[in-house]
Amino acid sequence: MSGRADARFRLLLAATALACLGIADPQIDYRRQRYDALFVVDISGSMNVRDYRLDGAPQSRLDHVKATLAALIADLPCGSRAGVGVFAERRPFLLIAPVETCANFAPLAGMLQQLDWRMAWEGDSYIASGLYQSIDLAAAFDTDLVFLSDGQEAPPLHWSGAAPFEGEPGAVHGLIVGVGDVIPSPIPKFDRDGRESGFLEPGDVVQENRSGTPPPDAERREGWHPRNAPWGAAAASGEEHLSAVHEAHLRALAAATGLGYVRLTPGLRLDRALAGHAAPREADARLSLAPWCAAAALILLTAVWRPERAGRPLSLLSLRPRRPA
Amino acid sequence: MTAATDWLLLRPWALLLLPLALLPWLYAGRHVSAWPWSGALPADPASAWLDRVLRVLGSLAIAAFVLALAGPGLRGEQVERISTGARVAMVIDRSGSMNSTFAGRAPDGGEESKAAAAKRLLKAFVTRREHDRVGIVAFSTSPMFVLPMTDRHAAVQAAIDAIDQPGLAYTDVARGLAMAFDLFDARDPVASEAIVLVSDGAAVIDRRVQEKLRAAFASRPLHLYWLFLRTERSPGLFEAPADPREDTPQRMPERHLHRFFESLGVPYRAFEADSAAELAAAIATIDQAERGEVRWLEALPQRDLSPFAFALAALACALLAICKSFEVRIGPPLPVLRP
Repeated sequence: MSGRADARFRLLLAATALACLGIADPQIDYRRQRYDALFVVDISGSMNVRDYRLDGAPQSRLDHVKATLAALIADLPCGSRAGVGVFAERRPFLLIAPVETCANFAPLAGMLQQLDWRMAWEGDSYIASGLYQSIDLAAAFDTDLVFLSDGQEAPPLHWSGAAPFEGEPGAVHGLIVGVGDVIPSPIPKFDRDGRESGFLEPGDVVQENRSGTPPPDAERREGWHPRNAPWGAAAASGEEHLSAVHEAHLRALAAATGLGYVRLTPGLRLDRALAGHAAPREADARLSLAPWCAAAALILLTAVWRPERAGRPLSLLSLRPRRPA
Repeated sequence: MTAATDWLLLRPWALLLLPLALLPWLYAGRHVSAWPWSGALPADPASAWLDRVLRVLGSLAIAAFVLALAGPGLRGEQVERISTGARVAMVIDRSGSMNSTFAGRAPDGGEESKAAAAKRLLKAFVTRREHDRVGIVAFSTSPMFVLPMTDRHAAVQAAIDAIDQPGLAYTDVARGLAMAFDLFDARDPVASEAIVLVSDGAAVIDRRVQEKLRAAFASRPLHLYWLFLRTERSPGLFEAPADPREDTPQRMPERHLHRFFESLGVPYRAFEADSAAELAAAIATIDQAERGEVRWLEALPQRDLSPFAFALAALACALLAICKSFEVRIGPPLPVLRP
């Protein structure tokens, strides 16, 4: 009986063939999800609140957002595109138009690293207006929108609420990311040279939006007078000098605009959240089959050197010993 | 030239399978002939060596496949090359007036805005100069760091794409210029460096900021270019006004910024462009002038070495298969003993 009748001979031939296939490096093409996103980062003063932690030390909201975005962009599949803008006052300001993320990761990461509240051109933050214009901007570049903000309007929203969204809800896909803790924290204050000088006091900020018409219940306020004190006689009091993520406001904006909402909790997988709300887009990708050839050949080779009892030759197809003729 | 760190494994966990290479030393991988007793046979060194060679071949085949599975490669490297080019820091005005035309009107179908013209021409400039490293700072009410000095021209193009988006209110040239110095890396002395300021206006520079800019310009041997996009009927850089009382930084900030730049003692040129054509000519002049030596890094892609592992595995397996085909069974098949 020759060795060629041995199942091991066929196993070795098959392994040789797989090795030759591995040299040829066959590849299959397939389509996979890619992401085109415009990231608009709120850089208004309340984003300086330090209510995140990094290695036990306090970390500001803006620093946390910068680190999260850099990690997210690094994880996006090649062929995805990312643009970056900042938001302050009532509008977004585009820094870089959407660009492919794999080849341009280094400049994108360098740019994110330099995002700073000092870039803000005004101290106000009209979140709703900024969001609506960011949606228009994303639509102009045909990308999804990821809008990162703590939702704190400054000056505070008028009692009648935010201006309505006039676009088509859901036309632009994407995500509003609520940044910050739900427990209010003090907002750092800076002097004219940009050095930190304590925290905002109740009197440093507008506590109530008193433009426009007073609320219907103003009549019950102390010292109310229809002409001389339509908002009541007392100075406005409130918690606007502290900052927490305004989830209800952001959720309402998300519902009105058809975007998703997620709060940026420490350890949040933002890539998964984005995947759930991104527009379906596809990129070409190639899968190399060579590792699979190697794995298959290894399985075959482990079958060549395995225990065998005397007189019972191996069968390739079945592990049951074949009866000798 | 390749150091140990240049090697890489795409799937290093696959090396956990390496103990499989011991299998040929535990099991023969050949037919075991049932033979009553082999103690009477003389020792045969040739057979013993053949046995070892076959086992080594088996180990080699398994180890090669494990290595192929792990995906060995040579890390992509960056090779330094020297060619003509420059490091260019673009300082770009994003004030709202950039969105109007050279005639000072809102752009219509016929005439593009100053920002759109600058965008088109700067993109063409970057495309022509493939070895430049470019960094970008935008300024308006506040300076904004846009792009670190990079050779990724797709990113540079995308950043320039953003400049015709609606701008902001003011024109704070000085702080934008000061930020441009952050773009240069002080550790790299061999480079031709230039700051290209693109703006359609200027503002009075604070005395304290003037001192800081003077110190910054004195610290680096770089060239300064100002592409002044002049709107119709606005004062130019070069002519003094008829009435000397008008000649104040508040009245004529552009002219006084120009004089400030001239007083810096660095190679400086100002271009006053009243139209897209003049802007193109100015950019072409800069293109001609900035042809110094620049070091740039050519990125060599990562090299996949797994075909070599597969080739080794193919060789070992083929030899084993040949040996296997010569295997003969000694003696008649014995009846199988049933327990």
